Amino acid sequence: MKTSWILFVGLSVFYAILTVIYWQLGGEAVGITAISLSAGLALIVGFYLWFTDRRLGNLLPEDNQQGEIADSAGEIGFFSPHSWWPLPVALSASALALGLIIGWWLVLLALGALIVSIMGMVLEYERPTTSAH
Amino acid sequence: MTTYASPAVKTNRPNLVAVGTIVWLSSELMFFAALFAMYFTTRAVQGPKIWAESTEMLNIPFSATNTTILVLSSVTCQYGVFAAERFQARRTGSLWQISQWGMREWFALTFLMGAVFIGGQVFEYAELVHEGLTLSSNAYGSVFYMTTGFHGLHVTGGLIAFLIVLIRVFKAQKFGHSQATTAIVVSYYWHFVDIVWIALFTAIYLIK
Repeated sequence: MKTSWILFVGLSVFYAILTVIYWQLGGEAVGITAISLSAGLALIVGFYLWFTDRRLGNLLPEDNQQGEIADSAGEIGFFSPHSWWPLPVALSASALALGLIIGWWLVLLALGALIVSIMGMVLEYERPTTSAH
Repeated sequence: MTTYASPAVKTNRPNLVAVGTIVWLSSELMFFAALFAMYFTTRAVQGPKIWAESTEMLNIPFSATNTTILVLSSVTCQYGVFAAERFQARRTGSLWQISQWGMREWFALTFLMGAVFIGGQVFEYAELVHEGLTLSSNAYGSVFYMTTGFHGLHVTGGLIAFLIVLIRVFKAQKFGHSQATTAIVVSYYWHFVDIVWIALFTAIYLIK
């Protein structure tokens, strides 16, 4: 991961230098804000990668010159095999945005539906073992 | 998620949920970059007069107190993460033994402090509207409510996220890696929103 964080932190330093140059050349507010916060954009990812690299303290198979595909096998994480919940989340989010054009009554309805469907999505696999499932 | 929870092995790769959250947060930063750019441009175009008149209405001591509460809530949130990292969901002592607190107690306290911040902001808006500064009163009103309002919506979203974490931990049979991950990524978001507010507070209330 060393290469990864050097890449992102380097990008951040590049944007920081660019901000100073742009500012000195008489750049306007939007550009200064956008370029300096681009440095932040890269720094967030860079800092996370640096911190995780230090914390894990090992060489990832991706960074190993002699690495094989099989080296990175193993548990990646939990992925939902099948779920209907993203559909109501997307529909109520669309209704929320449409409500800004159509009327506030729809915004309120959609907001309620959005919260319920988000709850449904994140709690889907959080079932007590005592239930019938 | 208990049936799917991974065994307590030492992880040797970055957590995918955390990586996704970090990438999303970096894009969120650019969303706020647009708001900052809007604020600075409007200020440059409108001239200093309208800014001087409007910023006089701001109640700096009040908003500084509110800011302090939000910054401190980031500290309590981090203590909740420390508890989550040792897989301690609930307190082991009485409510007054803070050193025995689990993730639940720390996150509940963070939630309360975040709610106080939002309440304070609503109060501040009400005062400003009373004094004649609204979203459509002048250019300053527009950018002020747009920037602080979008931040307020983010804090509200964070409050809902804290509720979801607390509900998930309540429903789960045991506190495992997946519950700890949820708690940790919500804390990333909370710290991000906190840092954005420090920048907004500096730009709007201190530099003016």
